[in-house]
Amino acid sequence: MTFRRKLLAVFALTVFLSVAAVALLVLGVTRNAFEKSEEQRTTTLVTQFQREFGRRGDEVARRVEAIAASSPVSRMATALNGTSADSAEYFDLARQMAEGYQLDFLEFLNGHGAIISSAQWPAKFGYPDTAFENLSASSGESAFLKREELQDSTALGLFAVRATRISEHPIYVVGGRRLDRDFLTGLDLTADMRVLLYQNRSDHFSADSLLDPSAPVNGSNAARPADKFANLVDAVRQYNQEMSGIVSWSSDQADDEVFHALPLRGAGTDRPLLGILLVGHSRRSYVDLKRRIRASALLAGGGGIILAILLSSWVAARVTRPVVQLAHAAQDVAAGHWDTRVEVHGRDEVAQLAESFNRMTAELLAQKERLVQTERVAAWRELARRLAHELKNPLFPLQLTVENLMRARTQSPEQFEEVFHESASTLLAEISNLKKIIGRFSEFSRMPQPQLQAVQVNEILGQIVKLYQAQLEAPGRAPLECRLEFAENLATIAADPDLLHRALSNLVLNAMDAMPNRGTLTLRTRRDDGKVIIEVADTGSGLTPEECERIFTPYYTSKQHGTGLGLAIVQSVVSDHQGRISVQSEPGRGTTFVIELPDNLEALSETPAAQDAASTTGQFARRD
Amino acid sequence: MKLSGWRSFVVSSMMIGALAVVAETRPQYGGVLHVAMRAAPTSLDPAELDPAKLAQPDSFGQRSLTMLMFDTLVATDEGGRIQPGLATSWQAPAGNQRWQFRIRRGVKFHDGTPLSAEIAAASLRAANPSWNVSADADMVVIEAAKSDAELLAEIALPRNAILKRNPGGTPSGTGPFHVADWQPAKKLSLAAEENCWRGRPFLDAIEIEMGKSFREQMTALELGKSDLVEVAPEQSHRISQEGRRLLSSAPVELLALFFTRDAVSPDEKLLREALAWSVERGSIRSVLLQGAGQPAGGILPNWMSGYGFVFATDAYLARARQVREQVPNVPTWTLGYDGSDPVARLLAERIALNARDAGLSLQPTSGAVTDLRVLRIPLASDPWVALADVAALAGVPTGKGGGSAEDLYASELALLGTKRMIPLFHLPVSYAASANLNNWTLRSDGGWAVADAWLGTVKP
Repeated sequence: MTFRRKLLAVFALTVFLSVAAVALLVLGVTRNAFEKSEEQRTTTLVTQFQREFGRRGDEVARRVEAIAASSPVSRMATALNGTSADSAEYFDLARQMAEGYQLDFLEFLNGHGAIISSAQWPAKFGYPDTAFENLSASSGESAFLKREELQDSTALGLFAVRATRISEHPIYVVGGRRLDRDFLTGLDLTADMRVLLYQNRSDHFSADSLLDPSAPVNGSNAARPADKFANLVDAVRQYNQEMSGIVSWSSDQADDEVFHALPLRGAGTDRPLLGILLVGHSRRSYVDLKRRIRASALLAGGGGIILAILLSSWVAARVTRPVVQLAHAAQDVAAGHWDTRVEVHGRDEVAQLAESFNRMTAELLAQKERLVQTERVAAWRELARRLAHELKNPLFPLQLTVENLMRARTQSPEQFEEVFHESASTLLAEISNLKKIIGRFSEFSRMPQPQLQAVQVNEILGQIVKLYQAQLEAPGRAPLECRLEFAENLATIAADPDLLHRALSNLVLNAMDAMPNRGTLTLRTRRDDGKVIIEVADTGSGLTPEECERIFTPYYTSKQHGTGLGLAIVQSVVSDHQGRISVQSEPGRGTTFVIELPDNLEALSETPAAQDAASTTGQFARRD
Repeated sequence: MKLSGWRSFVVSSMMIGALAVVAETRPQYGGVLHVAMRAAPTSLDPAELDPAKLAQPDSFGQRSLTMLMFDTLVATDEGGRIQPGLATSWQAPAGNQRWQFRIRRGVKFHDGTPLSAEIAAASLRAANPSWNVSADADMVVIEAAKSDAELLAEIALPRNAILKRNPGGTPSGTGPFHVADWQPAKKLSLAAEENCWRGRPFLDAIEIEMGKSFREQMTALELGKSDLVEVAPEQSHRISQEGRRLLSSAPVELLALFFTRDAVSPDEKLLREALAWSVERGSIRSVLLQGAGQPAGGILPNWMSGYGFVFATDAYLARARQVREQVPNVPTWTLGYDGSDPVARLLAERIALNARDAGLSLQPTSGAVTDLRVLRIPLASDPWVALADVAALAGVPTGKGGGSAEDLYASELALLGTKRMIPLFHLPVSYAASANLNNWTLRSDGGWAVADAWLGTVKP
């Protein structure tokens, strides 16, 4: 990843985190504010419901009071004042009065609690009301909840009790309205509010006990199953107090409703839990508003992030441009362009860095020139030394031969002819030697540029082995074992086959020279990381670390009659092929030269000749 | 002259007033009698009055209706004695097994067809497929395994009225009225038969509205739209207190719980017995029936059998619980009632309440398929016939009828022993009539006769 991208990423991440933090903060604050608002709204709605509930209770109480004060009830009370009075004729009075006063429940009880007339269960006349003690105590009080037993079920009702007293035998009027679908739907509530009633008939939650006005009359609300209220109802029953909870109807939070559960207790000392009123309101408005805020925050955050990325890109480009220029300049320097310079803008640290870079390259250039000069001088000195060394050896015999000739002419003219012939042979031999020395130097100075072709390394090695097979098995020397470990399907590489042949031949000859006695010459090829690896190993006496360090230095040799140019030529050839040569050796354990050559096939496409050569893989001609 | 003229005016005025009074008390021809009834028959065929046929429940109103259009071979009078009808005489020479009825001469059906022994025999065969009925000259011969008294009483029943069945049309009878218009289950219009063998009735026509509830009938009477309406037993006390014309029969209707199948196990018999012990007939009579009727422990009313008082009618809750506790598992029975009868529903609910006190479980319902039902059964005036009718309704075979009171008691006891029914009450039949209706009579057996009735001009 480039510096610019890193800088851009850092800027963008910083801006993103900042915007996200702000958005989360805004959302959090908004949520808290809305939750408080929701709580207040719920409280208001529950209060409104309780007020409405109380109003209905007052209405029931007024109607029961009116019934108790009505003429038919007064006449009945008067007629039944005597102990032997027959109440049969008033059997249907409760039904008639209940219809007239629009009450769902109405019963007339005598002073002993026996039912004189019942609107909700007419057949129950004469039976005692089991809750008579509580009812008589509630006479005159406000409305209360009561579970009323019916023919085949039970029902919750809002009841009131009033007494009609003619003398010492009162008639109790117990009237009420049923807490049913009509009662719930008749409540004056806001549009998004609804009320459900759970009748606490058993110890466990039962969906059948939940009265949902929004459900079909004789069915269940498939979209809003009653089981969803089980937890809330069970919690209220367990803790016996008001509780709130969110009921989710679908995966969409907007469908959720907040329900406030009000325990409905009956009259009496134990105040049994008769039912649970579930006052609910939709969270749709809240969720929609929250979604709008979230969308706005996301939109603003997203826009901010995009803007920040654009600004960051611009800023990063401006900030990193000098650095990029420095990097490119450094790459140029690394590539050998020591005269590279960068423009300096401003006075900041980057500008100082650019100035320093320019100074550094200038200094490097100067030092390079000095170094080149020094090396050139040194090279000339070394060349002179070598030349002197090489030339001194033949010159000394020449000198001796000439002096011998001169001494023979002077001192032994009769032998001069013989000496002359001998000296002439010696002179010719030494002069030939001198020519050879001069030829090798000439050859080294004339190392040609590689002419790349598609080359199979294994084939070249095979040819070399064939070339030196005779020497390996020469009768005058100890036999050498030649081991070939060529990798199969070795890739073709672009190389000059003549130069490569010469370099590898040098290595083979060196190896053979290193093994005057028995030994094993191993030629090995392999593929490694896209490169072709060539190893030439001997089992000779090996090299010391110092020899290993200097072995590729021109004119350095460990041999008695070597020029010290063989391995230098090898290294030159390898370098010209963008390769690398190394030596691994220990004294007494042989020496292995390792050549790494890239395939360098892309260089083949640069010249048509090379392309033609590439089409004849493995075929090459020796150059004269 | 002046004095003479004034006297003449006074005298003539007095004479006119006297004539008006006479006109109010003297029978008058003409007028249309409007009757409302709760039954809604879909057929006028008397054979459909068989109490065993629950598809068209029998009722006193329907029986009376039948007797307006048809006649029987013999009839029973107020004292229960057999009187001639379409048969002028009868005899049973061969040990009460072969009865011969001589057909009255000169009688014609409403369609003009003369009454013959063949037609009468065919009519009786259609109503009683198990009988061997034949015609012999002007004699109808019946061979039936019944006692003499029982057969005559049976033949006197409306369901054995003689009629001529017309294919695809309304049957023709020989009664004082013929059918003018018939809308099944809704309305029946009858017109006076001019050539009735018993003489033309005073009324020109009778319009009968069917399927009307007691409340609707009473409203129609109050509005002057009906001259004769049925009164529910529980309303009779209030109606009489309001000063209306109310006529009630003897308790001739049995109100009972009928099980729809036999008790399949001893446990079920015990449960039925427990139910019988749990019913508070006294409270029900006092409150739901407003004092009407008599609590019934037996099938036949006491006035009919003479021994009805021996059957216990009081609730015995302890006994009911004791019997019920002998049964480990108590099923829930469905108790059916007529949904159009409000008292029947209350009665069913009260019985269910009483049963619950005894540990039984009854579920009142107006549905058709139930374990037991509350039924009203019009009883025939003859105890043996009445017992046979109830047995037929219960699906219990009856033995040979006739005999002494002890035999009757034994038969009734055997019938009760089947546990197919629990008698509850014997109810009277009550009617309210407008002041216009004169000479209308209600027989003690619940039937009413309007053949001699006539309409006055008193405004309601």
